[in-house]
Amino acid sequence: MASKILGDDPFAAPPPPSDTESRPPELDPPAKKAAPKRIRKRTPPSVSVPARNYGPSIDTSRRPDRLAEIDQLCREVRELDGRVQERFGALSARREFTPLDLLARLYRPLAMRERSQTVDEFGRDPEVAARVDRLIDFLYRRYFRVSTEGVGHIPAEGRALIVANHSGTLPYDGAMVMHAVRNEHDAHREVRPLVEDFVFHFPYLGTLMNRIGGVRACPENAIRLLDQDQLVAVFPEGLKGIGKLFAQRYQLQRFGRGGFIKLALETDAPIIPTAIVGAEEIHPLLTKITWLSKTFGIPYLPITPTFPWLGPLGLLPLPSKWFVLFGEPLYFNAEYGAEAANDRILVNRLAEQVRQRIQEMIDHQLARRRSVLFG
Amino acid sequence: MSKASSKRHRPTELAKQSAPTGERVAALTGAYSFLGREVLKRLDVDHRFARVLAIDVRKPNLPFQKTQFHKIDLTVPTADGDLAALFAREGVTDVLHAAFLSAPTHNLAWAHELEVIGTLHLLNAIGEAKVDQLVALSATAVYGAHPHNPNFISEGQELRNHPSSQYLRDKVEVERQLHRFSKENPGTAVTILRMAAILGPTIDSFVTRFFSRPVCPLLMGYDPLLQFVHEGDAIDACLIALLGRHPGVFNIVAEGVLPYTTVLALLGRVPVPMPSFLAYRLSRALWMTQVFDSPPNFLDFLRFLCVADGTKARRELGFRPRYDIQATLRDFLRLPPAQVRETAMAVGRG
Repeated sequence: MASKILGDDPFAAPPPPSDTESRPPELDPPAKKAAPKRIRKRTPPSVSVPARNYGPSIDTSRRPDRLAEIDQLCREVRELDGRVQERFGALSARREFTPLDLLARLYRPLAMRERSQTVDEFGRDPEVAARVDRLIDFLYRRYFRVSTEGVGHIPAEGRALIVANHSGTLPYDGAMVMHAVRNEHDAHREVRPLVEDFVFHFPYLGTLMNRIGGVRACPENAIRLLDQDQLVAVFPEGLKGIGKLFAQRYQLQRFGRGGFIKLALETDAPIIPTAIVGAEEIHPLLTKITWLSKTFGIPYLPITPTFPWLGPLGLLPLPSKWFVLFGEPLYFNAEYGAEAANDRILVNRLAEQVRQRIQEMIDHQLARRRSVLFG
Repeated sequence: MSKASSKRHRPTELAKQSAPTGERVAALTGAYSFLGREVLKRLDVDHRFARVLAIDVRKPNLPFQKTQFHKIDLTVPTADGDLAALFAREGVTDVLHAAFLSAPTHNLAWAHELEVIGTLHLLNAIGEAKVDQLVALSATAVYGAHPHNPNFISEGQELRNHPSSQYLRDKVEVERQLHRFSKENPGTAVTILRMAAILGPTIDSFVTRFFSRPVCPLLMGYDPLLQFVHEGDAIDACLIALLGRHPGVFNIVAEGVLPYTTVLALLGRVPVPMPSFLAYRLSRALWMTQVFDSPPNFLDFLRFLCVADGTKARRELGFRPRYDIQATLRDFLRLPPAQVRETAMAVGRG
């Protein structure tokens, strides 16, 4: 009855079509989840053998009869509910319904506009993402006029790790990579970019990044995503890359501590080296003021030819012509095996190898490019 | 007088015919608490238990048949001796420890006595009486809302020290005691259930009070993902842990997460945006003057992630929550449970 009165009660509304895609994977049949290679606990003494198991506490040999035992127990617990009802009556006093609740029910449909009822397990809201996508699409097609190359190197299904250079003061490059793969790739795959803490916890920006698919960069999250066979984008330069001075443009910074290599080795994900050309000019960073950073809670205050002189207008990026180049996948796991993740020297060497590969791709494209604005 | 109400060993028609009246004896601390009471009701009708001891300072007024009430204050220095004698006399096999604060209190000294010292007393008694298993309740809040948390915190993550919250510090200390105890007493299976914030139509806690208010604070620019568990599922988890034998730590959470603002929207609450620094100050003032019952550091949970991974409980405990997060919120609002998945408890897949 109540749902009749409140016609657009978001609870009563049928789930949106995009719902299935956004639902956390656990809601899918557990049988899928039960494949013994999904989520691994990440213990500090990293696994020396690629034991794709849930940890030492599960005795797989005993599992079949344990399952039956658990099943039986659950059924019995369920039965107890009925007997409790018989003996003690229904659950004790429910809270009372107040006029305020009615007001709340009327307000709810209003509040639920522009957001969906379900987000996926990492916080991507399909409705918010669709809304932001219009802006990103404008930036992609009209503003930065992105050209892509080698998008076919991304596998149509299965896990992969896109490793790209990072720049631009604000993380436009992540959004463009997402949009490029979503639109240009035959399988229209969704990319989950890993977002560094500084952006992820930046008020509003971080929340927005999270709603459109960004995930906080940490090994646990990355492993979980890759184990779900998702496409993950990482920017190993991190904060050093995003805050590159104009004079240092297209000079790749140190690639973190090689975490992405460990990730690729452990999860058997191919690395797709990706070069983004054009992004490093959008906010020509002349200098960084760090002594004000405490006051504003940001690592530095960027000084560009337009910011902060023109105020908010100075935040407008330069409409440079962008190229996103996806390189051939690198299969490190097949070559070195998962246990190589513990070999720090090798990990560093491989990270450097990937860095050089991307640097070459960038240099090659820079040599071909005639104009920053027109490509 | 309190013992008069219990009728020991009276076979009930409700007790299932197949199994004989069990020889197990359960004891439950915090019997007056919501979970304590609800679990007690179910143990009272379960055939596996010969009798059930309810321990609290206040007697739950329910028509029990095989439950005896014992008024023991866990904070009293002699409580451990009393409990040990009681456990030994009655031959207690299983203990559920639910005597915890469900909300932070201003009486920090008493809170510490109840949580930490109360647990210490209970553990002393259990060690002395050689009880088979102990199930203790905890909360996923022990992980703390922290900017460095991964999206799904697994049970293996080391617990942080919470410098700003006595409430969480006590809970963490309780867990450390339990870990130490389980190491020193391998004969006793210790299970810790870390529950997400419990919501439901009947439970009254500071979380439900928070979400019952027409307006809720919103820290400007922050919108973390929240996680809940339905009260019915929380009760199930306690029973599954108690009836089986599953030593270890388990996160007990409902499926799905939702951003804070979406939770507010679904509940029809009006968010009041305010800058973080103002919110913390306001919250401190309201806490000091005892207007609100959540201390300022709880705003961290509206700012950063504290979401636990429930995979282990599903896999090893067999815990299948019936309510996902939407159904939990719906039931919290007393709307008809359209989305409850009754089949969720069925396992049977390898």
